[in-house]
Amino acid sequence: MKKIAFHTLILAFCCGMISSAASAEDVTCFESRKGASEVTQRELKPGWPNVKCSPKTGAVLWWGDPFDGTVPMGEMPLLDKTAAAKAVVKPRSEKLNILPMCGTACHNGVGPKFMPPTLPKDKNPKPIPTMEGLLPDAKNLQHGRGRIWCLDCHHTTQRNKLVDNFGNPVSFDQPQLLCGKCHGDKLRDWRDGIHGKRIGEWASTGKKRWFVCTECHNPHNVQDGARNRGFIQIEPETPPQLPHGMKDAKYELLHGVSQH
Amino acid sequence: MTPNENSPVGPDQELSSECSAQAASAAPLEPVQTTTSRRDFLKGGGMLSLSSLVGAGALMAQTDDAQAAIEWAEHFQGNYRLMTPQEKAEARARLERRYSAEYGKKVTVDGTEAKDGVLMGYALNIRKCIGCRRCVKACVAENNQSRGPNPGERIEWIQVLRMERGEFSKEKMDHGYPEGLGIQVGGNAYTPAGQVLEGQYHYEPKAVPEKDATYMPIACMQCEKPPCVKVCPVRTTYREADGPVVIDYNWCIGCRMCMGACPYWARRINLTSPILPKEEMNPVTHYLGNRPRMRGVVEKCHWCLQRTRQGRYPACVEVCPVGARKFGNLLDPESEVSLILARKNVFRLKADLNTFPKFFYFYD
Repeated sequence: MKKIAFHTLILAFCCGMISSAASAEDVTCFESRKGASEVTQRELKPGWPNVKCSPKTGAVLWWGDPFDGTVPMGEMPLLDKTAAAKAVVKPRSEKLNILPMCGTACHNGVGPKFMPPTLPKDKNPKPIPTMEGLLPDAKNLQHGRGRIWCLDCHHTTQRNKLVDNFGNPVSFDQPQLLCGKCHGDKLRDWRDGIHGKRIGEWASTGKKRWFVCTECHNPHNVQDGARNRGFIQIEPETPPQLPHGMKDAKYELLHGVSQH
Repeated sequence: MTPNENSPVGPDQELSSECSAQAASAAPLEPVQTTTSRRDFLKGGGMLSLSSLVGAGALMAQTDDAQAAIEWAEHFQGNYRLMTPQEKAEARARLERRYSAEYGKKVTVDGTEAKDGVLMGYALNIRKCIGCRRCVKACVAENNQSRGPNPGERIEWIQVLRMERGEFSKEKMDHGYPEGLGIQVGGNAYTPAGQVLEGQYHYEPKAVPEKDATYMPIACMQCEKPPCVKVCPVRTTYREADGPVVIDYNWCIGCRMCMGACPYWARRINLTSPILPKEEMNPVTHYLGNRPRMRGVVEKCHWCLQRTRQGRYPACVEVCPVGARKFGNLLDPESEVSLILARKNVFRLKADLNTFPKFFYFYD
């Protein structure tokens, strides 16, 4: 009898350990697409989480504070109607793992072997094994279907920047200034809130967090043969309950529908 | 059979006569005892109503039993729309007390009224929807629906219909669907484009969007001429001044007339006692919005009244990963929805029914 009690005690102790370990573990979920912007779950105030996540897919389902971790979007052409503080974004550069290296380690403008350092002679595509190793997407560049290449979007000398039509650098936090070069109709719709996603206050004068282009679209892989829309394929959430008395979803396909 | 006629109650006790009518609902069981005489039966009925009166009196007198007193008052409150502002505040305070005790945390029941110059509108880009159902789950996370495992315990307000794209091929020319009946539906035999069968929204692929499907989310369309409001026998569902059609759950009798009248399959009934875990319960609620419902009442989408009345987007708008869902003020020409109506190709679902939804589908 004593032995059983002892074992129970051990078991209870272990369970306690496991549960405490699990609660200490951070829950990380993704906002729009996997790999674009991950959020760690925490409590803003007791009983009020910053995000609620889907247990099945790990996607963010609900924001406790839509402006958590955001900064003002900055200047945006033709956006004079919106006050600067009313449009906020989550900085993209924090989420891009190799970005801090880009301007310092390799493409820093100085180097022993490169004359001129790391500057290509023209914009024609050629294999770059180093980049492909660092960024697998580069090997399978779908964007433009072979009509554009790295330096059409990335700045020639400042690799931690993008490039606009005049060759001026554009921050990675404002990819819309680059994407809008070609996708002007989408930029217009995005500016007016018709294209893309915003969270926050719904009034046209309200404060909103804007999702920028690259939070939803992978710019290297916007067109993929296996899907039929601009957005990447994702795992769906669980289906609803079947209607009462229906054994499976295929029932009607196999048994016909009564035409009343 | 009405116990009031039989009960030995003085006129001074008429205050609680309504209560005895309620409590004596067990009376129809009595005639089953065939051996009892009419006198016995009347005596029984009288005793029953008397006992119920005593019980009611005890309930009303027992002010220290907060829970019982709250529920008692809640049971006899009026239609929310007809209440005075003070009665409304009292009703909300009662509910706050009850919910806070029930869910073990501070629950607020908001009563913010419609603002002038606001007519809420919704637009959904039907070409963008990928059928991921995040809106469905976000709605459940926000709106305190029942989420139990058994049949009828899981309530979701948004349905995402999956429609086959259909294809035309020579091999299928002679095929008919359904087999044997010779009726061809949709685009082609065996590939019924645009046809929605009951089972079709139970799709469960590894990844969406599927190559051969389009998706169409439906929920309450917040009609300007809502058929559900027309049929409600107790007028507990009505259109608010800023657009949404709402339900006073306390006044609902669960007759489900509105469910039959709604052409958009938007309404759900709590056939069972709702299953809502304490830790998952959203404590920020609105009286006409997402406050926890009871068994036997109808519920539906109300455009997250607890959020939108405070200026925040509805939960489904915020969660949509492709940005297909748009919400705004139809009276504001600069709002997202107004711009969509001005620029895009827009349609309303089942426009021929003259329900005039404020939910618009559009495509690029």
